[in-house]
Amino acid sequence: MHAHIGDRIVINGHRVDEPVRDCEVIEVHGPDGGPPYLVRWSDSGHETLFFPGSDAAIEHLEHLEHTRA
Amino acid sequence: MRTIDAIRRSGIGVGPEQTVREAAQVMERTGVGALAVVDGARLRGILTDRDLLRRVLATGTSPDARVDDVMTSPAVSIEADADLHEAFALFWTHGVRRLGVVRDGQFVGMVTVDDLLVDLARDLVDPSRPITAEIAHAHRDSALPVA
Repeated sequence: MHAHIGDRIVINGHRVDEPVRDCEVIEVHGPDGGPPYLVRWSDSGHETLFFPGSDAAIEHLEHLEHTRA
Repeated sequence: MRTIDAIRRSGIGVGPEQTVREAAQVMERTGVGALAVVDGARLRGILTDRDLLRRVLATGTSPDARVDDVMTSPAVSIEADADLHEAFALFWTHGVRRLGVVRDGQFVGMVTVDDLLVDLARDLVDPSRPITAEIAHAHRDSALPVA
């Protein structure tokens, strides 16, 4: 998994009632865009060190900008 | 199956120098019960909600104590490409419910016995569906040929 600053990571819920969460990559700590990432959660604004698993999908910044345009 | 393929949830990390209070807040905000304590991406230990109960709350330790003073270390860990049977063996041998998954010493995620049990149950249920369907809908069998 590779990410850049500004990319959005979406984490799917594990239970039926668990909401989808998302966060923004604000620092990339691994080599070549690899994890871990320092992320900022959109719902709380807090920052955590994040190691993406199979429940996480990265939306790259250029894709997001294209979608917004 | 490789252990890394059994990781269901993204991992959350904290630094060893962070306080117990900060770690508890991270657990509460992210909804996880175990944090990887990492130096860069190198796994130093694991801090669980049970560690907070036993080593902080029960002993009267200050919430301003460092995470590395109360974490479980060394963490029981497994290589990312190890067969999942090795993970089961480690759960059994060490009596833990979580394993740190590492690649070249770098933390990549956490595999839990809970997740493996869910997968195991699913693996058992899927092959048994034709059998349970046969039992539940026996009348669908074609009639015996009349001699």
